[in-house]
Amino acid sequence: MVKRTQYPRPAKGRTKYFKLNVLPNNLWLNIPAGDTVFDALKNHDVDLKSECNGLGKCGKCKVRILSSIEEISQDERNFISQEEIDQGVRLACRTPVTSKMVIQIEESPSDSEYFQILQTSNTSLFQLDPLIHKQHVFLTPQFANKGAATLDRIKLAMGPDYDDLTASLGCLASLPEKLKQTETQGVAVLHEKSLLDWQNWEKLGHNYGLVFDLGTTTLVGKLINLLDGTDIGVKSQLNSQIRHGTNVISRLQYVKDNAAGLDTMHDILIENLNDITRGLLEAAELSTNDIFAVIAGGNTTMQHFFLKLPPDGIAEAPFAPILTDGIQVKAVEVGLDLHPEAQLFTMPMKSGYIGGDLIGTILASGAVEQEDEIILGLDIGTNAEIFLGNRKRMLTCSAAAGPALEGARISHGMIATAGAIESVRYANGKLHYRDISNIKPKGLCGSGLVDLVAVLLKIGVINKEGLIVHPKENRKKKIFSRVIDHDGVNSFIVATAQESYHNKPIYLTQKDVRELQLAKAAIAAGIEILISDYGIRLEDISRIYLAGALGNYVNPLSALQIGLFPPVNPDIIVPLGNAASYGTSMALLSKYYWQLANELGDSLEHIELSSRLDFNDYFIEFLDFPSSNF
Amino acid sequence: MNDFQVVVDAVHKGDIKTAVAETQKALDKGADVQEFLDKALIATMDDVGENFSKGITFVPQMLRSAKTMQECMKLLASSFQEGAVKSKGKVLIGTVKGDLHDIGKNLVAMMLEGAGFIITDLGVDVHPDKFVHKAQEIEPDIIAMSALLSTTMPSMPLTIEALEKAGIRDKVKVIIGGAPVTGKYAKEIKADSYGSDAGASVNLAKSLLGLS
Repeated sequence: MVKRTQYPRPAKGRTKYFKLNVLPNNLWLNIPAGDTVFDALKNHDVDLKSECNGLGKCGKCKVRILSSIEEISQDERNFISQEEIDQGVRLACRTPVTSKMVIQIEESPSDSEYFQILQTSNTSLFQLDPLIHKQHVFLTPQFANKGAATLDRIKLAMGPDYDDLTASLGCLASLPEKLKQTETQGVAVLHEKSLLDWQNWEKLGHNYGLVFDLGTTTLVGKLINLLDGTDIGVKSQLNSQIRHGTNVISRLQYVKDNAAGLDTMHDILIENLNDITRGLLEAAELSTNDIFAVIAGGNTTMQHFFLKLPPDGIAEAPFAPILTDGIQVKAVEVGLDLHPEAQLFTMPMKSGYIGGDLIGTILASGAVEQEDEIILGLDIGTNAEIFLGNRKRMLTCSAAAGPALEGARISHGMIATAGAIESVRYANGKLHYRDISNIKPKGLCGSGLVDLVAVLLKIGVINKEGLIVHPKENRKKKIFSRVIDHDGVNSFIVATAQESYHNKPIYLTQKDVRELQLAKAAIAAGIEILISDYGIRLEDISRIYLAGALGNYVNPLSALQIGLFPPVNPDIIVPLGNAASYGTSMALLSKYYWQLANELGDSLEHIELSSRLDFNDYFIEFLDFPSSNF
Repeated sequence: MNDFQVVVDAVHKGDIKTAVAETQKALDKGADVQEFLDKALIATMDDVGENFSKGITFVPQMLRSAKTMQECMKLLASSFQEGAVKSKGKVLIGTVKGDLHDIGKNLVAMMLEGAGFIITDLGVDVHPDKFVHKAQEIEPDIIAMSALLSTTMPSMPLTIEALEKAGIRDKVKVIIGGAPVTGKYAKEIKADSYGSDAGASVNLAKSLLGLS
């Protein structure tokens, strides 16, 4: 049972309190009579937009009053339309609490919304030729009375290309009923030469597909229009498998330790994906029967969980998965709640630690469609997947960076959600940071950590070896007063108790710097090995693409300053958005890209870093921070 | 003030040139080899190990110090053979089966070597039988196992079982380490002890063998 704070009953003659019920969080707050809703929410740490801090000047703190309300003030009329007034919208800073109230506020940005920022639209950069297509068919009535088989009538009507048309038993059984409804013209839903369904001709203009990005932490589903390639909706949610381990290794361990572990992992995943699907379809006013095409990509372990394939081999050297091919099965076989004939495609993979997500990222980067430039790409997570090359030759590796760049194992680290410091700069002797949602900071996320360490390196608070120092000659500099001694080891105060959300100081400790050094050294060493195996020089790299959440938010210059990348011109570093998901969509939208993805699975050259002796040498070499200044 | 302060500082800094020159000087002056080893080298590496545990010293710096110490030790090698100094004990070390992680295990090996132990390193992905065969051959005082993945940790109890089957479990102390490993896990699998990092491993090894 949740323990709630007990508020004292107000004594007679003293301040009167009213209950304020805040939706959608369903908070019950006790508010002194006369306080504004704005004050009430602020005093209870409920996030609310505001630029003027309650002066009634910015019009940002809109809330919807669901209980009875008073006349609107003149101040508010400047910001609130008549339509909104009718819906009960008011400014929180101009609305006093004078009775029991129920209000609706905008949901604070959740993780899922944050990740949605990464969505890209499938603009018509390439020829659409989806894996599932629809064809308008006119059934010539003359065959109807000559005893021809129904399937043969459809074959005849579709022409010689479809002489070898096939159909599943389920589809065949449904044909008489459906043909009766459509009469002379209908729509064949096709996967290559296989008939999936027969529909009314009006359905010709509707062809939708689902794209699943199977992240270890976040699952993203996209509903796309296969006819024009546009995104209709995106929905994401935390992967509920997290309750059995936050990372791939601990989930593999769970499966190893529990007889039904694989079933559990699979079922949780499918339940999540079916939830996402329902949400997407509801919003688009579609039904499960409207979906005939779904594609999924993720890391190799996640794709194994998805297909309920025992992933045990991936857990230890030599890290062998069961499957690396891109495959096509009926969606119903894995438990997805879609049309019974819906076809599921899973992205090809390369190895135990190079999954369909990286193949998607490579597709999205366009690196394998040209041979003039050599492209370096990175998807940075607990493992950093790296690729280097072009159509002629493409190398990949997976470097175990550890979770520091995702904010884990950092004293005040956190994932990129509200309150996470995401960027830091130094000007006029002071640190300036920006945190997500613009509330007081709660901790550091990966991009903030990289920025902070880059800044501290530049000022000299952290030396080349990674030591947090407090040199005598620098004591005058105000910033050094933030270096404090903890039992002979220094820490840096990022935010004081007053500055922080939780009223506790936010530190960067010596061990945090060490964790970052380990992470960046692993990535830099992986890059170095690819460059050396490719037989090129650093200058030969034309562009560096960054994918994944960190890749899109990290400041390229800071990343260079801490040595996450070798010293290149920062202008060649380009964020790629949610490239894995985009590349996966490309494979569903175009037979060419599906083919290319499968060829990539075969042609990629994978370098297993853990069996490379020189990896350790590079790794140790790159643990120090670079001395060159940018 | 330590008589060998210049060497001490040089080992701390990883300044091989100075350390070697000063070691030679001390030996030429007729310094007691055991005293030199203890005070100038081993004590310094103990400090380095402690600083590593705290995070003040990091991997590259510790490696440089260890390398400096090794170079100085070469000058003392002749004395070793003449029996002027005693080894602290023999350690058989390796990363367990299924795991290819090398660096942490190497650091532990170097620190133990720096502390005066004789090291036999079986490398990575070491099968339990390999630990057993080598242990039967060299009769170590300590077997040290490393695992960096929670999925390869189970190779540790398998190795301990193999030692039991071979009848040599009670002749050695087994210590374990690596990122996912804990003291609790060491107890569960009946290892003798757990070290949280390379710096801690030295004191651990010494106390298990009843050395100060």
